[in-house]
This record gives sequence, C-alpha cells and structure tokens, in this order.
Amino acid sequence: MRKKKHRQEDIELNVTAMLDMALQLLTFFILTFRSAPVEGQMLLRMPLPQPVAGVRSGETAGHDVQHRNPLAELNTLVISAVASDTGNLRQLAVGESTMSNSLSALDNKLGNLLGDDGSAFDQVIIQVDSRLRYESLMQVIDVCTRQKLPSGERLTKLSLVEGA
Amino acid sequence: MSGSLSHASSAEPNLTPILDMVFQLITFFMLVINFKAASMDLDLKLPVVGSARPVDSEGKDDLLVLNINSEGKLKVYGQLIANVDGYIRQEAGASLLVARGKNPSAKADDLPSIVVIRADKSTPFKMLNQIITTCQTHGFRNFALKAMNKEA
Repeated sequence: MRKKKHRQEDIELNVTAMLDMALQLLTFFILTFRSAPVEGQMLLRMPLPQPVAGVRSGETAGHDVQHRNPLAELNTLVISAVASDTGNLRQLAVGESTMSNSLSALDNKLGNLLGDDGSAFDQVIIQVDSRLRYESLMQVIDVCTRQKLPSGERLTKLSLVEGA
Repeated sequence: MSGSLSHASSAEPNLTPILDMVFQLITFFMLVINFKAASMDLDLKLPVVGSARPVDSEGKDDLLVLNINSEGKLKVYGQLIANVDGYIRQEAGASLLVARGKNPSAKADDLPSIVVIRADKSTPFKMLNQIITTCQTHGFRNFALKAMNKEA
C-alpha cells in the first residue's frame, strides 16, 4: 500500500514550460491588442453620372410642339456645393436657386422637392467644388441621405461630379 | 540532510491556478482580436456626421477597404498604392470572380462588392473623386462612406 502511494506521488506534470509558453502568448496578445474604433458609415448607390432627364427612344426634337410638360422626364436633382479657399462649404445651390451654406435651408428645400407626392426625382447629382474638403462634402451627403422619396424609401442614389 | 531535501521539494509552488488564469486571458484576447482593424489606417481623422450608422454590410462580406489620406494617397493594409488604377482593376476582377461563383449572371459593370471609403476629413474632393471614379469605371457601384458619429 505504501509503495503504491509513493508511485502516485512521483507522477507530476511539469507545467513550468507550458506556463512559460502561455505567458509569452499572453504578452504577444497584450502588445498587439488595439481596440477598433466604432465607426459609422453611409451606404450609397453611386452609378456613373447619368443625364438629368430620361430620353424616350425614337423621340425627335420638336416632337412635343406644345411643350406641355417639360419636367415630366426630369428625374435627377442637381445640387451644387461651392467651396471657400480653405475648402469649407461657402455656397449651396439646388438647381438654379442658390442659397447660403446653411445645411438646414438645404434640408428644407430638398424635403419640399423630393418628398412631394408629385415629385419625379429619384436621384441626386452633387456637383462638388474640387477644393471642398471631405468633411464638408459628408455634411451635404448626410442631408441628402436623410431625405425620403414619395415612395417612403430613403434617397440612396447619388452621383458626385467635379465642378469648377 | 535527507529531511532537508524532502522539505525543499515540498515547497514547490502549485502553478496550476496561474496556468488556468493565463489560459483564460489568452482565450479572451484571442476572442476579441480584430483582424479587420488591420485593414484600417487608424491615423486618419474621419469626419464626424451625426447620422452615420454603425457598420452594417447587409450580409455582404465582400468589402474593399480604401484608406485615403489628406494628400489623396491610397493606402491599403498600411501600404501606399502607387498604381491605383491597376490595383482597383485587379480587385474588380477578383470581385467579379467571387460574384460569378455565387451568381453566374453577375455583371462586370455592377459588382456586388461594397467599396468602403475611409478618407481623412481634410482630403480635397478632387483627390477623392479620382479614386471614386476609378472604382466606378471598373464596375463598383456600392459605396460606404465612413465617418464617426461622435468625436473620438
């Protein structure tokens, strides 16, 4: 009985080597650990810039001689963003109507134009000054992507073209 | 003397609990390690936009992450890309192969991959637009513009 007990005591696993290795692994993970920042994003569908009005095949100039509804095929809204010398937003324009650099004014204007039940607009082209900084551009895109179309969907079709 | 030796051997510390603890820590770090962070250039200062939502790739895992610094240079996995057109063409080809593997009728001019743009907030549009246009020319249509939704 005593002999058997003595044998059991002899069988000991040497964990020192395993502990060394585990500590090295732990050191590696601690040193390489970098918490990823929580980032947001805006998902956009950006096709190549297209004509602002659809063209029916076979249609010729002067076909609609009475020119009853010139806006019927107009489905793209053009927004212009002009930059200052420092690259900040200086002026905005929706179609032909210019406004200051107020994003809330742009929000109201787009809300009226895109949310109207009779509106045919389903995409927006932003004509961007080449000097405009990404931060200012994102503020304009942010206003655009908050707009809802008459169908209830959010506006996601955007194209960016470089202005002067 | 024999008694002294026996006493010394019995004073060995029991390393099993510390080993358990270390293994638990290793497991924790292995679980929280984020391989996606390697594709991000964490030196960039992203713009702050209130409505930017946390990452939701709609189940599409095929992402092309492009880091653009304030000078408009493209950086991928920490490497500056000199031939931007060549790189994006190559990625578009790979994306098309993956897309055709899932759907044989996938079109080369409407790739399902999402291009994730991580640009510095002071990048001029001219530089940014060159890269976006190159992506569009090679068939990418879905873009995700990255921003922080609050100041870091």
